[in-house]
Amino acid sequence: MIPLNYFLILGAFLFCIGILGVLTRRNVVGILISIELILNAANINLVAFNKYLGTPDGLGQIFSLFVIAIAAAASVVGLVLVIAIYRNGKSVYADQYNLMKW
Amino acid sequence: MTDITFYFIALSLCVFAFLTVVSRDVFHCAVWLALTLLSISGIYFYLGAGFLGVIQILVYVGGIITLFVFAIKLTAHIGDAAIRQTNEQVIPSGIVVLILFYFLIKIVVSSPWAKIDPQAPVLSLKELGASLMTTYLLPFEFISLLLLAVMVGAIVIGRVKK
Amino acid sequence: MVSVAHLIPLFPFLAFAANILFGRRLKSASAIVSVLASSISLVLSLIVFKGLLDGECSYLLGKWLTINDVSINFGVNVDALSVMMLLVVTIVGTLIEVYSIGYMRGDPRYSRYFAYISLFMASMLGLVLADNFLMVYIFWEGVGLCSYLLIAFWFERPAAAKAGLKAFVTTRIGDTGFLLGIFLLFLATKTLYFSDLSHLVPVPQNEWMLTAAALLIFCGAMGKSAQFPLHVWLPDAMEGPTAVSALIHAATMVAAGVYLVARTYSLFVLNSFCLETVAVIGGISALMAATMATVNNDIKRVLAYSTISQLGLMMLGLGLGGYTAGTFHLMTHAFFKALLFLCAGSVIHAVHTQDIQKMGGLLPKMKVTGITFIIGTLALAGVPPFAGFWSKDEILLKAFQSGHVVLFGVAVLTSFLTAFYMARLIFLVLFGKPRSDLPAHESPKTMTVPLMVLAFFAAFVGLLGSPATHHAFQGFVYFGVAPEGETHASNGIMLLSTAIGLLGISLAYLLYMAGHKILPVSVRARFAPLYRLLLNKYYVDEIYEAVLVRPCLKLCEFSSTFDRLVVDGLVNGVAQVMQWVSATLRPIQTGMVQNYLLIQVLGVILFILTVAGKICFRF
Repeated sequence: MIPLNYFLILGAFLFCIGILGVLTRRNVVGILISIELILNAANINLVAFNKYLGTPDGLGQIFSLFVIAIAAAASVVGLVLVIAIYRNGKSVYADQYNLMKW
Repeated sequence: MTDITFYFIALSLCVFAFLTVVSRDVFHCAVWLALTLLSISGIYFYLGAGFLGVIQILVYVGGIITLFVFAIKLTAHIGDAAIRQTNEQVIPSGIVVLILFYFLIKIVVSSPWAKIDPQAPVLSLKELGASLMTTYLLPFEFISLLLLAVMVGAIVIGRVKK
Repeated sequence: MVSVAHLIPLFPFLAFAANILFGRRLKSASAIVSVLASSISLVLSLIVFKGLLDGECSYLLGKWLTINDVSINFGVNVDALSVMMLLVVTIVGTLIEVYSIGYMRGDPRYSRYFAYISLFMASMLGLVLADNFLMVYIFWEGVGLCSYLLIAFWFERPAAAKAGLKAFVTTRIGDTGFLLGIFLLFLATKTLYFSDLSHLVPVPQNEWMLTAAALLIFCGAMGKSAQFPLHVWLPDAMEGPTAVSALIHAATMVAAGVYLVARTYSLFVLNSFCLETVAVIGGISALMAATMATVNNDIKRVLAYSTISQLGLMMLGLGLGGYTAGTFHLMTHAFFKALLFLCAGSVIHAVHTQDIQKMGGLLPKMKVTGITFIIGTLALAGVPPFAGFWSKDEILLKAFQSGHVVLFGVAVLTSFLTAFYMARLIFLVLFGKPRSDLPAHESPKTMTVPLMVLAFFAAFVGLLGSPATHHAFQGFVYFGVAPEGETHASNGIMLLSTAIGLLGISLAYLLYMAGHKILPVSVRARFAPLYRLLLNKYYVDEIYEAVLVRPCLKLCEFSSTFDRLVVDGLVNGVAQVMQWVSATLRPIQTGMVQNYLLIQVLGVILFILTVAGKICFRF
């Protein structure tokens, strides 16, 4: 049997990869992709705990379901915003969005 | 299921995830992301959450990736290939992320989770559906509201104004 | 009867308020308001006088402060001394206000002038009626303020503005001493009432405090009465209108110092050192001022020095135990000095100059002024039977009786010089040939009538203390026990003072009339250094300037620079530091979300450490 730890470590690895992507990518769509990775890492944790610790009424899976739905909603909104900004003549590169600079 | 299956899926998952964040071309990122999500659904199947795995493929790989590809193609530039894709704070974030990873690993390893045996019964689809509609009805309804709002908002923002 | 006393200062105060608030509308009617108020006060004073003769006395007016177990109240003190002062101030004040109607006619700030005069009257009357030190101090400041306002009345002239400032600052120095004296007295005796002073028993612990308090209170008197060394303001105060000089700087305000000493006499009597100090300062001032008056060529300044000198004589008298003598001279001096100043004002009004070397032969052209001027001079010089003779005689008698040979000599010499310089003034102004082309004419009735009334007083008020009325004054105003067995007139002294007066007049006659037997010019040449010394007022002003004023100004400059550089520098420095800090910190806001996210992840790491720190670092 695979110990629970391994799943958690896998989740942690995915999470850190996702954070690295968020912090370093210039293209905003790339950032949104990395955000998806983060959310999936959380999902892995949830399902692993569901299997190994037992949750009432399959809470782990249900929770993951909701997370997927929310992640989808979030990326929809994010992408729409990116497209709208792109249409206004601005670029899609995050380090050029600096109107709030001092 | 044997352990080797897990190791194989986990390894490919890590590779795909890594490739996702380091690709130069953002379209490649989307492709690698699709493969990552598939691998994750594989993990779900391995953990006995069949329903979730299917949903993952349907929603994520089928819907979200499509969305990303559309967005990428709509915002693409000719000169994209020549521009660098990573910003200036690569090294600091690398260090920070490594530290974060180290701490997370440390916590996981120090907890007594290694000795736990899998004990959850595998729920059938029917039981899942029942629990969704009874115990977790409220979040379900909220999610649907949320999705509605997102849809409307996306349409409004995404409109081309005359 | 006596209980109307508190209304006496009230009417002039109402006149002040009316003139200040409605002066512009009243215009020339403001004079009537003031004169009316003063007349009412005069009538009330007579009523109070009658009441006092009937045997009534002081009363309480109302509560004011109560701190812990000490209460300070308003009260009215009605006794012989205050009633005498009331009558003097109201009579002289009313006459001078009538005189001012003509003197200040056409002045653009006519109503303001009368407002200030009424305020002064109110303060002076309040001062005289006060029954505790605090009230006196309030009105003391009030008269000081009015003096400043009136000296600098024509403030467009820089000399007048400077003179007002000088008067205020100099009297302030005296007032500070006065205030310290009040504090010390309160510390020693826990009371501020005059009536308690006579019950003081000096205990060895607080004896030095009482002596010091008396001396400090005398500081205040020195300031107001222009005694040496605080006499420098009075000659300069002649920049104000002559009517003001007559009222304030001859008859009433400068008398406040003498009044204060008389009022607190019980305190001075406790220690002979205090009395001696009073007498010595008085003597120095008297002689110094008399010498300076002999060479001065400004008609008003001669009279100013004469005032200082006569006040010195009063202090001399008080200091040698002559309470009655000093106050008697105070009363007579008020009348004839006011008369002299008003005559001088009349002369100046006619010839538009104050330099007596330019005047001469004015008597035929200004009969009333001239004759009253002569009467005033004779009164001041101490020629019998005019007022000054009787009062000065009292002082000389007291000086002789006290045994202080030096002070007696000083008094005699001062009397001689007084007669001399007043006669000199008369001869140069009224007699002889006109030395320059002068448009001389007699003054209007509003000015000459007060002159005549004052001349009447100057001539006859002295008789109140003479054997003719059986020494009525001495029986009225006295200290301690009623003087039954004292001698008030000694024939020897009377002869001596008459002789001195006549001697002085004759010397002046020889110098300035009588075919110029001795020429003043040659006398001047013979004693040139002395002449210069006297003409420059013993260089006292210059000494003050160098020793006191200039270091003070240097200190002010230093403070100003310090304030500008250090204090402002600190405040501005704080602002600068803030700006530097913000400029340094501002680049943190890069506007790029990923930078913020990086910091957030760091925050998450810190959070993890906080929650599970021990686990993280277990090796």
